[in-house]
Amino acid sequence: MKTLTKADLESLARQQGEGKEWIRVQLDTGGIAAGAETVFAELSRVRDEMKLALPILRVGSVGYSFADPVVEVKCAGMPRILYGRITPELAGRIVREHVVNKRLLDEYVIATRRRSLKLDGPVTQILVRDTGADLGNKTEFFQFSLLEEIKRRGLTERVQVVRAYDMGVYDEGVAVQLLPSGVTYVNVLAQDVARIVAESVVGGRVLDDLLWKESDRQVRVVLRNCGEIDPDSLDDYLRNAQGYQALKRVLCDEKPGFAIAELKTSGLRGRGGAGFPTWMKWQLTGAQKADQRYVICNGDEGDPGAFMDRSVLESDPHSVLEGMIIAAHAMGCSRGYFYIRAEYPKAVERVERAIAQARAAGLLGDNILGSGFSFDAKIRLGAGAFVCGEETALIASIEGRRGSPSPRPPYPSVRGLWQKPTAINNVETLANVPAIVLRGGAWYAQNGTEKSKGTKVFAVTGKVKNAQLVEVPMGTTLRQIVYDICGGVLDDKDIKAVQTGGPSGGVIPDKHLDTPVSYETLQQLGSIMGSGGMLVMDKNDSMVEVAKFYLRFCVDESCGKCAPCRIGGYQMLQILDRISRGRGSADDITALRRICTAMQKASLCGLGQTAPNPVLSTLRYFEEEYKAFIEGGPSYARKISRAQAGEASKETAKAVATP
Amino acid sequence: MTSAPTHPVDDRDPTPVELANCDEATLLGMLDKMEQRHGFVPREISEEISRLVQLRLERIERIRGKLDSTIRRDVQTHVAHWSNEEGNLIMILHAIQNQHGYVPREVAMELSRELGVPLARIYEVITFYHYFKLQPPAKHNVVVCNGTACYLKGSLELLNELRSRLGISEGQTTADRHIHLDVVRCIGCCGMSPALVVDGKTYGRVKTSEVGGILDSVKKQEAKP
Ligand SMILES: Cc1cc2nc3c(=O)[nH]c(=O)nc-3n(C[C@H](O)[C@H](O)[C@H](O)COP(=O)(O)O)c2cc1C
Ligand code: SF4
Ligand code: FES
Repeated sequence: MKTLTKADLESLARQQGEGKEWIRVQLDTGGIAAGAETVFAELSRVRDEMKLALPILRVGSVGYSFADPVVEVKCAGMPRILYGRITPELAGRIVREHVVNKRLLDEYVIATRRRSLKLDGPVTQILVRDTGADLGNKTEFFQFSLLEEIKRRGLTERVQVVRAYDMGVYDEGVAVQLLPSGVTYVNVLAQDVARIVAESVVGGRVLDDLLWKESDRQVRVVLRNCGEIDPDSLDDYLRNAQGYQALKRVLCDEKPGFAIAELKTSGLRGRGGAGFPTWMKWQLTGAQKADQRYVICNGDEGDPGAFMDRSVLESDPHSVLEGMIIAAHAMGCSRGYFYIRAEYPKAVERVERAIAQARAAGLLGDNILGSGFSFDAKIRLGAGAFVCGEETALIASIEGRRGSPSPRPPYPSVRGLWQKPTAINNVETLANVPAIVLRGGAWYAQNGTEKSKGTKVFAVTGKVKNAQLVEVPMGTTLRQIVYDICGGVLDDKDIKAVQTGGPSGGVIPDKHLDTPVSYETLQQLGSIMGSGGMLVMDKNDSMVEVAKFYLRFCVDESCGKCAPCRIGGYQMLQILDRISRGRGSADDITALRRICTAMQKASLCGLGQTAPNPVLSTLRYFEEEYKAFIEGGPSYARKISRAQAGEASKETAKAVATP
Repeated sequence: MTSAPTHPVDDRDPTPVELANCDEATLLGMLDKMEQRHGFVPREISEEISRLVQLRLERIERIRGKLDSTIRRDVQTHVAHWSNEEGNLIMILHAIQNQHGYVPREVAMELSRELGVPLARIYEVITFYHYFKLQPPAKHNVVVCNGTACYLKGSLELLNELRSRLGISEGQTTADRHIHLDVVRCIGCCGMSPALVVDGKTYGRVKTSEVGGILDSVKKQEAKP
């Protein structure tokens, strides 16, 4: 690629727009593991066999992990359609039935979340699904009645009725979505069928009493390009995602200090855990006198069970890189590092490619866009140590040493990598930056709460129906995230708690599910925001076991440098182990609390300081479970563990059985 | 060394062709078996085996000689590639592990010479990071995800099943060095938990009852020439 100039970027900004027809296959780690590569190959094969010119594109993931592999189709005269759980056989059918015959496939469509309140244009497809508790058994009946009604009115040629895989609304009876507008009806009864067809399909009028008026709770800022562009193509990013326009703005159009000022207005706080205001970190680092400064993107994502950062790096690496270059410019850094887990080879590969492409296009290197600013970025691999997510350990690891934390202060912004001022930012933090620079800090601050602005990405997993990535405005409640967006608890069991913040976080019991999510509220509840892992636990999950699970993780990952963490963690684990085998004593709970306090106060780094959180929060809300283990003795413990084992295997069997 | 050894059926003596395809350990094991079966080892067979073992040992010596010079060359290439970078040790170790599947002792020693860094410091780094391995990988790797999402969905069940079927626990390799069992934390497919990775292929939403079938498919691969 030739070097891009300011003028090139200006002309690119004017010619936005995507192709008219395409098939997109979402190829991130999750999709590939579910077989997206074979789906891609089969789509291409059948397309070639049928001699079609339709482009089949590789994109990142929109985040619907529950539906992997996900394929999106856009054909002339038809709405964009997202399909989930696609197999190679279905891939062939997508080409033959959807692309050629313009008929949607039954059972695999994921309804659009861009729900409309208006019917603009004639209805061409109707999606239907029973979202009630007794899942799916009324769907066929309603499909049949809608079809009969359509037939009676002689509309069979014009309107297709399709059973959907997922409606995006849950527990609202039979839901119906009219395409292409996206008008969605819920709690539809048998007698409504004729009305829907007469009024909406024929008459073009919306039925207010059935209309689902709530707009999607998700707001996609960080995930704006995920699933929309080819992560391996700079060209796609430039043409279809306003790529590097924010960088151009900062380098060529605005005065120095613009980015920091906008970030300050935006209220963006670090998304890696602690929530330190990003603008302040940049200002502190930039204000240090030094001949060299560094910026680091923290892509270590150590929370086991969370995958926000992986997904962003795999689906939209250029946004993170653009954020890093803007950061570097704001602080006067000439070098940047991406520190990425070696366990994320796809993310590493895509970021590596993005860096090479940016370098070839003159977006990295000397005199970027003729502005006189020079900067280059490199990748460093993590090697499977959770503690390396901690800033000072991460720096030690990039320097090629063991990843042991060192005391702060001095903070990295004063003395960091190779003793130079260094700003460490999380992946998600950096991915926000280009959007904020381009659309303004005030725009970003529209979302969120008083002290926690903007949106946050969560990876919702565990005992939840639709495990997925979710991006919501701060202030959205846990209940809304779990029930409205992710469909509630697996098998409609009662929810017991939600765990946030991974091994450094805590559990939040069901009675607090209506808490709006923000840095402050989660902390008050004894958990933390963390980087965005969110685990749903149902009534059968033992909180003692969960606490033990997280604690074992921290003990395994402790670097052993300081005694409170090394010894305290081990002692606690032994106590927990004893309790969970029904051999604990009443004093054990007091002992646990005491060790927790000692670790929080005396540990050197965040790992040891926060490792007690899972124990403390389970003790805070579920002390009676600990007591039950202690009082019930070994026979009780055996009963609990048998019940859990049985549960687990039953549930997984069920998960496989759904299409 | 490239073609996978085919194992002679247990209840009869191996044919010469089968013998020629076995590695030393299998050959020696076979001597034991034959002794059990016949009470003695037929002379022709023992002679044939000792001849093969001798041949094999000679070949290994030759390869090892070659290995020494390749090791030097490889290490030099890696070091040259990263020579202008500060703090390059970890990246070089990644390159070495990618090449060999682990960090062999000879290579670490060579690296210490090349970089002028004490071997102890290299080992200090290797042992700190879980990702670096000091043992050669087995033929097949079975990895159970025990991240939180998988844990909640019953990954311990899968692990127990694998433990009992393979007779080893995590971090160990079966006696015939065919299968290595390991546990990782989150492979990024939490949407499909519980997950297993077998030789790089991910299996999602795995039921305990499917574990046997997955292991069988590994073994079947083995049987193919
Ligand atoms: C034990 C430990 C693990 C951490 N792991 C991560 C991580 O995986 N990813 C991350 O971005 N931050 C992690 N952090 C937080 C970082 O140290 C740091 O605060 C963050 O990367 C700063 O970026 P931000 O200001 O954009 O949030 C961890 C902190 C501790 C104490
Ligand atoms: S708190 Fe734990 S992880 Fe942190 S420095 Fe001390 S021993 Fe190491
Ligand atoms: S926890 Fe197993 S894949 Fe994430």
